[in-house]
Amino acid sequence: MNTPTPGTNSAHAAALTAEYAAIWAYGPIGVRLAGPAQEAARDAEAAHRRRRDDLVLHLTDAGDSLPADQAGYALPFPVTDEPSALRLAVEVEERTARFWQAAVAATSGAERERALAALVDCAVRATRWRRTAGTTPLTTPFPGRTA
Amino acid sequence: MVAQSVTRRPPVGWAGAPTPAPAGLTNIVLTWAVMGKVTQRDMLPDQTKGHSRRNVLRVGGLLTLSAAVPSLTGCDPFNREPPPPDPLAPMVNEALALSAAYRDAATTHPTLAGRLTPITDAHAAHAAELARITKVALPSATPTASTPADSDATLTALREREQAAGESATRACLAAPAERAALLASIAAARASHLEALQ
Repeated sequence: MNTPTPGTNSAHAAALTAEYAAIWAYGPIGVRLAGPAQEAARDAEAAHRRRRDDLVLHLTDAGDSLPADQAGYALPFPVTDEPSALRLAVEVEERTARFWQAAVAATSGAERERALAALVDCAVRATRWRRTAGTTPLTTPFPGRTA
Repeated sequence: MVAQSVTRRPPVGWAGAPTPAPAGLTNIVLTWAVMGKVTQRDMLPDQTKGHSRRNVLRVGGLLTLSAAVPSLTGCDPFNREPPPPDPLAPMVNEALALSAAYRDAATTHPTLAGRLTPITDAHAAHAAELARITKVALPSATPTASTPADSDATLTALREREQAAGESATRACLAAPAERAALLASIAAARASHLEALQ
């Protein structure tokens, strides 16, 4: 285990709150999608659950208190149909990427490798969702960077 | 993000001002080497007492010499090592070459331009950011690129380059100090998403 850099645990705790929100958001997203898109939403939700479980274990091992999950999260816009669901999916991935990018700077060694892998996953999923939604460009120059 | 460059020695040209840092370093190294020698001799029982005076003189002499070194080094512009190259400097050229490869591919295959142009711009933006944090001047000449006549072969070649570039950004991110890691992580993530966009 690496020596924790100052701010490591708070960066992980912040990433955990982002993962809670992402998992929650994929609920309303999934019900507005069908077929392969719905399957992709299920896979994305499962991926976020794995990151959440990983963070919970990690923070518990470090003896840190866990941030609480909320019963619900305010959506940035109403999700009423497939286009708005896909738009939210892109937004969820972009938002979660920002927390993982911050965790990259706050960690080193294996922890940084994990944070980087999570950031890369978010960026790749955001690209897939943009393609499903038919929005261009498919990519952003600096995933995770606060605009 | 700029903090790394602060610790680097400023580049010294013909008219460069003398830098005190390397001289100070030489001073410390010399002093330590002398102390190590004394300790070694102290461990030999027969020689310890007889040579102690010589050792003291030797220590004194070398200390005087080491005290003189800073001014000597400070005066000699030929005896100074160039500043170590920034480990990220090659990434500037890598990003520019990628940008050129995409630009050329988009020109050769206009049907791919819609997909390739945003990636061309992203690589150019990465080069600019890398140049900014490494304080490397962006080369004015655009790197040349050659694109296969077949569009499938073009995409395959771009995917291979993007994959390799993603790996190099990942390695750089994992080795970088905290203030650079976030940018490198973002570049690694962008390259992974380019790869996805080329599928």
